[in-house]
Amino acid sequence: MSEDTTTGTATATAGATVLAATTPEHNPGNEVLALAIGVAGWLVPGLGHALQKMWGRALGCFLTVGALVFLGVGMRGNVFSPEGGDAFGMLGYVADLGTGSFYFAARALETQGSDVAHAEGDYGTRFLAAAGVLNLLAALHAYEAARGRKA
Amino acid sequence: MIATIGFTLSHFQAMTLFALLISVAFGFLSRRRTSDRVKYIIWSLFLFLLIGVGIGWAMYPFSR
Repeated sequence: MSEDTTTGTATATAGATVLAATTPEHNPGNEVLALAIGVAGWLVPGLGHALQKMWGRALGCFLTVGALVFLGVGMRGNVFSPEGGDAFGMLGYVADLGTGSFYFAARALETQGSDVAHAEGDYGTRFLAAAGVLNLLAALHAYEAARGRKA
Repeated sequence: MIATIGFTLSHFQAMTLFALLISVAFGFLSRRRTSDRVKYIIWSLFLFLLIGVGIGWAMYPFSR
Protein backbone atom coordinates (compact mmCIF):
# COMPACT_ATOMS: atom_id res chain seq x y z
CA MET A 1 0.00 0.00 0.00
CA SER A 2 2.80 2.34 0.92
CA GLU A 3 4.55 1.41 -2.33
CA ASP A 4 1.42 2.36 -4.26
CA THR A 5 1.29 5.67 -2.44
CA THR A 6 4.96 6.37 -3.18
CA THR A 7 4.50 5.50 -6.86
CA GLY A 8 1.41 7.68 -7.02
CA THR A 9 3.19 10.59 -5.41
CA ALA A 10 6.14 10.24 -7.78
CA THR A 11 3.82 10.18 -10.77
CA ALA A 12 1.95 13.22 -9.49
CA THR A 13 5.21 15.10 -8.91
CA ALA A 14 6.47 14.25 -12.39
CA GLY A 15 3.14 15.30 -13.86
CA ALA A 16 3.25 18.59 -11.98
CA THR A 17 6.79 19.23 -13.22
CA VAL A 18 5.78 18.59 -16.83
CA LEU A 19 2.70 20.82 -16.40
CA ALA A 20 4.77 23.60 -14.83
CA ALA A 21 7.23 23.44 -17.69
CA THR A 22 4.54 23.65 -20.36
CA THR A 23 2.04 26.06 -18.76
CA PRO A 24 2.33 29.54 -20.35
CA GLU A 25 2.31 31.44 -17.02
CA HIS A 26 5.66 29.95 -16.03
CA ASN A 27 7.41 31.40 -19.06
CA PRO A 28 8.89 34.82 -18.15
CA GLY A 29 8.71 35.94 -21.80
CA ASN A 30 5.00 35.24 -21.90
CA GLU A 31 4.54 37.10 -18.63
CA VAL A 32 6.13 40.25 -20.06
CA LEU A 33 4.06 39.91 -23.22
CA ALA A 34 0.90 39.46 -21.17
CA LEU A 35 1.74 42.59 -19.18
CA ALA A 36 2.33 44.55 -22.39
CA ILE A 37 -1.03 43.33 -23.71
CA GLY A 38 -2.72 44.42 -20.48
CA VAL A 39 -1.17 47.89 -20.69
CA ALA A 40 -2.13 48.16 -24.38
CA GLY A 41 -5.70 47.22 -23.45
CA TRP A 42 -5.74 49.96 -20.85
CA LEU A 43 -4.30 52.63 -23.16
CA VAL A 44 -6.65 51.90 -26.06
CA PRO A 45 -9.87 50.10 -25.07
CA GLY A 46 -10.08 46.77 -26.90
CA LEU A 47 -6.49 46.76 -28.13
CA GLY A 48 -5.46 44.06 -25.63
CA HIS A 49 -8.04 41.70 -27.11
CA ALA A 50 -7.35 42.79 -30.69
CA LEU A 51 -3.69 41.84 -30.27
CA GLN A 52 -4.87 38.34 -29.37
CA LYS A 53 -7.23 38.24 -32.36
CA MET A 54 -10.31 38.30 -30.13
CA TRP A 55 -12.07 40.64 -32.53
CA GLY A 56 -15.57 40.49 -31.04
CA ARG A 57 -14.38 41.33 -27.57
CA ALA A 58 -12.06 44.03 -28.90
CA LEU A 59 -14.88 45.70 -30.80
CA GLY A 60 -17.29 45.27 -27.88
CA CYS A 61 -14.86 46.91 -25.43
CA PHE A 62 -13.96 49.73 -27.77
CA LEU A 63 -17.55 50.59 -28.62
CA THR A 64 -19.03 50.32 -25.12
CA VAL A 65 -16.22 52.24 -23.39
CA GLY A 66 -16.23 54.80 -26.21
CA ALA A 67 -20.00 55.22 -26.02
CA LEU A 68 -19.92 55.62 -22.23
CA VAL A 69 -17.22 58.30 -22.49
CA PHE A 70 -19.00 60.09 -25.35
CA LEU A 71 -22.33 60.09 -23.49
CA GLY A 72 -20.66 61.09 -20.22
CA VAL A 73 -19.02 64.09 -21.86
CA GLY A 74 -22.20 64.94 -23.75
CA MET A 75 -24.13 64.98 -20.48
CA ARG A 76 -21.45 67.30 -19.07
CA GLY A 77 -20.18 64.90 -16.46
CA ASN A 78 -17.20 65.74 -14.29
CA VAL A 79 -13.88 64.68 -15.85
CA PHE A 80 -11.70 64.64 -12.73
CA SER A 81 -8.20 66.09 -12.80
CA PRO A 82 -5.25 65.12 -10.56
CA GLU A 83 -5.70 68.42 -8.70
CA GLY A 84 -8.99 67.22 -7.25
CA GLY A 85 -7.92 67.85 -3.69
CA ASP A 86 -10.05 65.47 -1.64
CA ALA A 87 -10.08 61.66 -1.57
CA PHE A 88 -13.25 61.38 -3.65
CA GLY A 89 -11.76 63.60 -6.33
CA MET A 90 -8.70 61.39 -6.40
CA LEU A 91 -10.82 58.24 -6.66
CA GLY A 92 -12.78 59.84 -9.48
CA TYR A 93 -9.54 60.71 -11.23
CA VAL A 94 -8.28 57.12 -10.95
CA ALA A 95 -11.60 55.82 -12.28
CA ASP A 96 -11.61 58.30 -15.18
CA LEU A 97 -7.98 57.53 -15.98
CA GLY A 98 -9.02 53.91 -16.41
CA THR A 99 -10.26 54.81 -19.88
CA GLY A 100 -6.63 55.33 -20.96
CA SER A 101 -6.32 57.55 -24.00
CA PHE A 102 -10.06 58.24 -23.94
CA TYR A 103 -9.51 60.27 -20.77
CA PHE A 104 -7.60 62.88 -22.77
CA ALA A 105 -10.24 62.77 -25.51
CA ALA A 106 -12.89 63.41 -22.84
CA ARG A 107 -10.96 66.39 -21.50
CA ALA A 108 -10.55 67.78 -25.00
CA LEU A 109 -14.22 67.26 -25.88
CA GLU A 110 -15.65 68.80 -22.74
CA THR A 111 -15.02 72.37 -23.76
CA GLN A 112 -17.77 73.88 -21.59
CA GLY A 113 -16.73 72.16 -18.38
CA SER A 114 -18.87 69.96 -16.18
CA ASP A 115 -22.35 70.78 -14.93
CA VAL A 116 -23.15 68.53 -11.99
CA ALA A 117 -25.82 70.89 -10.69
CA HIS A 118 -28.25 69.07 -13.00
CA ALA A 119 -29.12 65.38 -13.05
CA GLU A 120 -27.59 64.91 -16.54
CA GLY A 121 -24.20 66.07 -15.32
CA ASP A 122 -24.38 63.74 -12.35
CA TYR A 123 -25.28 60.83 -14.62
CA GLY A 124 -22.45 61.85 -16.95
CA THR A 125 -19.95 61.65 -14.09
CA ARG A 126 -21.10 58.09 -13.39
CA PHE A 127 -20.91 57.19 -17.08
CA LEU A 128 -17.30 58.37 -17.24
CA ALA A 129 -16.29 56.54 -14.06
CA ALA A 130 -18.05 53.37 -15.20
CA ALA A 131 -16.23 53.56 -18.55
CA GLY A 132 -12.89 53.70 -16.74
CA VAL A 133 -13.62 50.82 -14.40
CA LEU A 134 -15.04 48.76 -17.26
CA ASN A 135 -11.91 49.34 -19.32
CA LEU A 136 -9.69 48.32 -16.42
CA LEU A 137 -11.74 45.12 -16.13
CA ALA A 138 -11.33 44.49 -19.88
CA ALA A 139 -7.57 45.13 -19.68
CA LEU A 140 -7.31 42.68 -16.79
CA HIS A 141 -9.29 40.15 -18.82
CA ALA A 142 -6.93 40.60 -21.77
CA TYR A 143 -3.94 40.18 -19.46
CA GLU A 144 -5.34 36.98 -17.97
CA ALA A 145 -6.20 35.64 -21.43
CA ALA A 146 -2.63 36.33 -22.56
CA ARG A 147 -1.38 34.36 -19.58
CA GLY A 148 -3.58 31.48 -20.67
CA ARG A 149 -5.83 31.61 -17.63
CA LYS A 150 -9.09 32.47 -19.36
CA ALA A 151 -10.37 33.10 -22.84
CA MET B 1 -12.24 73.38 -33.57
CA ILE B 2 -14.05 70.72 -31.60
CA ALA B 3 -17.82 70.81 -31.90
CA THR B 4 -19.71 70.94 -28.63
CA ILE B 5 -21.72 67.82 -27.90
CA GLY B 6 -24.68 67.78 -25.60
CA PHE B 7 -27.42 65.38 -24.55
CA THR B 8 -30.52 65.86 -22.51
CA LEU B 9 -31.79 62.53 -21.27
CA SER B 10 -34.46 61.63 -18.75
CA HIS B 11 -33.56 59.52 -15.72
CA PHE B 12 -35.07 56.43 -17.30
CA GLN B 13 -33.30 56.98 -20.63
CA ALA B 14 -29.96 57.46 -18.89
CA MET B 15 -30.47 54.36 -16.76
CA THR B 16 -31.52 52.27 -19.77
CA LEU B 17 -28.53 53.40 -21.84
CA PHE B 18 -26.17 52.72 -18.96
CA ALA B 19 -27.69 49.28 -18.35
CA LEU B 20 -27.54 48.41 -22.06
CA LEU B 21 -23.89 49.41 -22.49
CA ILE B 22 -22.71 47.65 -19.34
CA SER B 23 -24.71 44.52 -20.24
CA VAL B 24 -23.19 44.43 -23.73
CA ALA B 25 -19.67 44.83 -22.33
CA PHE B 26 -20.20 42.10 -19.73
CA GLY B 27 -21.78 39.83 -22.32
CA PHE B 28 -18.85 40.18 -24.70
CA LEU B 29 -16.27 39.72 -21.95
CA SER B 30 -17.80 36.79 -20.16
CA ARG B 31 -19.29 34.65 -22.95
CA ARG B 32 -17.75 33.21 -26.10
CA ARG B 33 -20.61 32.05 -28.30
CA THR B 34 -22.93 34.59 -29.89
CA SER B 35 -26.10 32.89 -28.64
CA ASP B 36 -24.73 32.80 -25.08
CA ARG B 37 -23.80 36.47 -25.35
CA VAL B 38 -27.26 37.47 -26.54
CA LYS B 39 -28.92 35.50 -23.72
CA TYR B 40 -26.57 37.02 -21.16
CA ILE B 41 -27.09 40.57 -22.44
CA ILE B 42 -30.88 40.28 -22.41
CA TRP B 43 -30.95 38.72 -18.95
CA SER B 44 -28.46 41.25 -17.52
CA LEU B 45 -30.36 44.19 -19.06
CA PHE B 46 -33.63 42.88 -17.65
CA LEU B 47 -32.14 42.55 -14.16
CA PHE B 48 -30.53 46.01 -14.34
CA LEU B 49 -33.87 47.59 -15.24
CA LEU B 50 -35.88 45.53 -12.76
CA ILE B 51 -33.57 46.35 -9.86
CA GLY B 52 -33.23 50.01 -10.92
CA VAL B 53 -36.98 50.55 -11.15
CA GLY B 54 -37.48 48.49 -7.97
CA ILE B 55 -35.06 50.66 -6.00
CA GLY B 56 -36.75 53.75 -7.46
CA TRP B 57 -40.13 52.62 -6.18
CA ALA B 58 -38.64 51.61 -2.81
CA MET B 59 -37.30 55.17 -2.38
CA TYR B 60 -40.54 56.82 -3.54
CA PRO B 61 -42.18 57.07 -0.07
CA PHE B 62 -39.16 59.01 1.22
CA SER B 63 -39.00 61.43 -1.69
CA ARG B 64 -41.22 64.12 -0.10
